[in-house]
Amino acid sequence: MVAGAVTACTRDDSDRAQPAPTPGGAARPPVDDYGDTIALTAAPATRIVSLNPTTTEILFALGAGPRLVGRTHWDLWPDSARAVPDLGDGIDPNVEAVLSARPDVVVLYAGAGNRAAAARLRAAGVRTIALKVDRIADFERAVTLLGVIAGDTARATVVRDSVARTLARVRSATRDRPPIAVFWHVWDAPLITIGRGSYLSELVEIAGGRNIYDSLPAPSPQVAIEDLVRRDPEVILAGPVGARRIARDPRWRPLGAVRNGRVLVVDTNLVGRPSVRLGEAAVSLANLLHPGALP
Amino acid sequence: MTMTPRLALLAAMIALFVLAAAALAVGSVALAPSDVWAALGGRGDATTIAIVRSLRLPRVALAALVGAALGMSGAALQGALRNPLAEPYLLGVSGGAAVGAVVALAAGVQAAAGISLGAFAGGAAAVALVLGIARGVSVRADARVLLMAGVVIGAFANAAIMVALATAPADAARGALWWMMGSVSGATWSTVGAMTLWLALGGGALLAWARDADILALGEEPAAGLGIDVDRAGRRIYLASSLLAAATVAAAGLVGFVGLVVPHLVRRSGARGHRALFAGSAVAGAALVIAADLIARTVRTPAELPLGAVTALIGVPFFLLRLRRPT
Repeated sequence: MVAGAVTACTRDDSDRAQPAPTPGGAARPPVDDYGDTIALTAAPATRIVSLNPTTTEILFALGAGPRLVGRTHWDLWPDSARAVPDLGDGIDPNVEAVLSARPDVVVLYAGAGNRAAAARLRAAGVRTIALKVDRIADFERAVTLLGVIAGDTARATVVRDSVARTLARVRSATRDRPPIAVFWHVWDAPLITIGRGSYLSELVEIAGGRNIYDSLPAPSPQVAIEDLVRRDPEVILAGPVGARRIARDPRWRPLGAVRNGRVLVVDTNLVGRPSVRLGEAAVSLANLLHPGALP
Repeated sequence: MTMTPRLALLAAMIALFVLAAAALAVGSVALAPSDVWAALGGRGDATTIAIVRSLRLPRVALAALVGAALGMSGAALQGALRNPLAEPYLLGVSGGAAVGAVVALAAGVQAAAGISLGAFAGGAAAVALVLGIARGVSVRADARVLLMAGVVIGAFANAAIMVALATAPADAARGALWWMMGSVSGATWSTVGAMTLWLALGGGALLAWARDADILALGEEPAAGLGIDVDRAGRRIYLASSLLAAATVAAAGLVGFVGLVVPHLVRRSGARGHRALFAGSAVAGAALVIAADLIARTVRTPAELPLGAVTALIGVPFFLLRLRRPT
């Protein structure tokens, strides 16, 4: 029954290193985003190391916070996460430090930099789950899977549904507004924005905007400022530091959004992760793009 | 291929002009040459004018200035230190500048001007350190000792940067890495203005001391015999060319290889005497960096390649080709 719940969440996604779902949903062990089988045990995990701020947030929301025995240096939300031992970096982590926490499960981000570490942890006999959580659907899949690992699938359903409900509420509130052309400023040296592969592009759309670079598949592609000037977005979304840099840099002055005071500052702490605060993040973006649209 | 030095300089200047025109006309946004021409004169639609006048023009100007400064700096260092491998980046300037920039980034400096200032201070500090070491080792500022001190300071700086990058948060490390690969994409009229000033001061000084460089190139004994203060002249040229290089690092990050390869190309084209060498290196360096930047920003639009890598990628084959050909 446990296996069935997880198989349901392994979906077909060409970006992911995983086989297509079994026809008819027949029971087959789930795989993580490196294509490795996830061993499912009857008993929930008791000592968990989470090496990704996103999954750390999810595990706290699932009530597994007290069972966390390690996190990365950057996992600072919720506040109680700070009490979990800091094991350093989440990309190319210190395997020795992770093992010394004696975890029965390690969850890490399925990026190129973590393959070697995941293999070493597996070789050491630790159940290791690599998850690439980049888009909203990835978040939902991760919540379902971690619900099984932490032994509380009911709570996973509640978390997933409450986020989905908030997103739906924001979407319907902005549906009738004309979409606003948005440029998301991630960094300017080099100029980095968000593409279709990022949950932020989805959040912009839910909040009544249109990411001008949603045609680019990468989560955080590099673009040219000439091209940005030509596309001339109506609004620029930037973090507090980015907004200050834009204000000081004359290269940005040709942009209508800069001249019209439409460089809007996003709460980078809130929107920074595709996690349990996705709903809140969508609300904050909708309030920036369409003030008054939400009751 | 026989070419008089004067003809070679003229050819380089024509190449520079053609490349600059091409760099203005071509970019990640396709514009008709006639629209670019109109936009330069302030006519046409506002977007085209903005792209040509506030983005491409300062960018091409900065590439030219950085290339000219690096070419002159390399030519002067090779002459003053009597070593064909001498170039600003080998001699600790780039390492020191990179440490300065990384320290500025680590201290939370976000403004581009602040990072440039850090880079310049770091480069200047490395130069001072090298001169100090050279003086401490021998009474006379031996060219070999300057070279050794530069290489050692550079290696130390690189180690310090690696430690800083390994411990920095991912975002800061990405910014620092991009900066170290060199780019003129952040060009604004104020960076162009600052670089113009540095090139006028440093380049002017080098041209004025070109005769000293000629005499130094004869070797220490003959130079002393001709009545110049060998140590003082060498140090002066070293200082001016290093500060010139530090200014380029502050404006565009690390743009490698120009300082090494351009003076050799110019020498192979028959330039005799340091005045001709400096002038030729300035023109050829400007042309090389403009061409490299044009490639860097057009082959993979809208993304850009690191300028410092492209200068080496196009500089090396050109260099080898010239090396093969007897002059």
